[in-house]
Amino acid sequence: MIKEIVVASGKGGTGKTFISSNLAYLIHSLGENIIAVDADVEAPDLILALGGEKKRFWTEDYYGSFRPVVDYSKCAKCWKCLNYCRFGAIKKSDRGPLIDYSKCEGFGVCAVVCPSKAISLTRVKTGVIYMAESESGIKVITGDLELGGGSSGRLVYELKQRSRKFLKEGYVVVDSAPGIGCPVISSISGADLLVIAIEPTPQSIKGACRLLEVARSLRVKAVSVVNKYDLNPAIVDKIESMLEVEVVGRIPYSDEVVESYTAMTPLLATKSSIKETVEEVLNKILGEVP
Amino acid sequence: MIIAVAGGKGGTGKTTLAVSLALLASGEHKVLLGDIDVDNPCTFTLLDISLKTLRTIFAYKPVIEEEKCSFCGTCSFYCPAHALVVIPGKKVIFMETLCEGCSLCEVVCPNGAIREGKETIGYLKFGEKGYLHLIVGELKPGSRRYHEVAGETLAHILSISEKYDYIVVDCPPGTGASVAEALKVSDIVVAVTEPTRLGVHDLIKFKKLVERCGKKLVIVVNKYGISGGCYRELEKVAGNEFFKIPYDRYLVEAYSTGRSVVEMYPESPSAKALRDLWQWLRSL
Repeated sequence: MIKEIVVASGKGGTGKTFISSNLAYLIHSLGENIIAVDADVEAPDLILALGGEKKRFWTEDYYGSFRPVVDYSKCAKCWKCLNYCRFGAIKKSDRGPLIDYSKCEGFGVCAVVCPSKAISLTRVKTGVIYMAESESGIKVITGDLELGGGSSGRLVYELKQRSRKFLKEGYVVVDSAPGIGCPVISSISGADLLVIAIEPTPQSIKGACRLLEVARSLRVKAVSVVNKYDLNPAIVDKIESMLEVEVVGRIPYSDEVVESYTAMTPLLATKSSIKETVEEVLNKILGEVP
Repeated sequence: MIIAVAGGKGGTGKTTLAVSLALLASGEHKVLLGDIDVDNPCTFTLLDISLKTLRTIFAYKPVIEEEKCSFCGTCSFYCPAHALVVIPGKKVIFMETLCEGCSLCEVVCPNGAIREGKETIGYLKFGEKGYLHLIVGELKPGSRRYHEVAGETLAHILSISEKYDYIVVDCPPGTGASVAEALKVSDIVVAVTEPTRLGVHDLIKFKKLVERCGKKLVIVVNKYGISGGCYRELEKVAGNEFFKIPYDRYLVEAYSTGRSVVEMYPESPSAKALRDLWQWLRSL
């Protein structure tokens, strides 16, 4: 049995990577099998939080999309492609259809509808996937999306598939991208537990509220952790009732969190004064996994 | 002039900066603040204003007419998002949360059993505060189509851009397609980062994106002065010409109560640094 825990937040910078890296470290130190997945594919840095890369097992190019290519010698300028494209990615020109690749989603409707077979599809590399071991001894699968890339949800789906290929028993900890969009939905889908990282600000609480709406529609159990709770203690007690989600723990603001990143050492591996608090919160999270 | 406010890592202070610049600029100019961080737009929270909906953003969704369906499975075979499952001879299951709205299923169905329907994917909203106008795109929770909502919002911003002296675009975190599109239409890109290892690391990837778009980059380091930070690496990546917003309790207090520091504590060190930044940007 694999238990998948996803750490996400509606808003960025609330401590997702902090929680997921230390959670992975705790599970590893308990002697359980674990693979950590960095699903923040536009800005991946989970392995840095786990001490940096020690050993690379494999790297693969990921071809996650298609690119339509027009053979203008066959084009009859019937403009069916333009009429059927749902993304406004095709414009008219004297030669035939001009494709705006920044808008094209690569679904290939244009190629299918073209009666002259003037449009063919070529596979496009949208990122790389690699598995490595961190200095702290944890296996991490990372997705790194191409600059300005789309289809991040499909890349995240592939990362989760890979984690299940290399793990038969144990835990998968997924560090999600911020927000509630396509990659986040792919991160949460099928997870056993969603941990929402919240900081006590109206902006973060609003984001958490939107994320919970997504989690409920996907029927994934959710709990939350309030990071930097002492920045605005007045609001913390209200979070549970406002969001109708259990707050399993509160972590104070500490310079030692920033220091642990600088030293590339998970906080749990340091002598930090908040280490016990963090460990207690992470143990509670593990206790919440169905 | 269009100023895009972006940066790789989330939570570094993009919205704080975008709102501050827009407020400062609106003292003397016609300013539009565009918020394309559609997953969780927060500009209006920090400006403490309410928004009105200009329009709903729709996208394609297939409607299956089962009486015409032969359960052949062609739609399921072609669907790139794996949103359609056909139980042969019995039933079609459409999983709306997976659908990406390409309409390929409708195109390939041999029985004409799929017709066009529409789904709400987000909202385009408007707000104002004095001379500052605000356009906000908001993704409907549960929809995957953040890229399209951000794209529609950006297109709307550009369609009214001639009315304004300055346009400040608050971008989502990351280096994805929505960010790239905003950078392409901007005159200046402001990258907001923080002196932490993750902030510095994410800035490396973001800088490459800005270079690829061929835009002028201004790096702003927020929370400058936090103890234990990654300052040496920061200088390696950012050089020594970057703006610093000092970490002070005024900014933290204003932000954590959902306000803007330039309004709440205009004489604080962080508000002064934001004013200096604006003065410098306008001189460009």
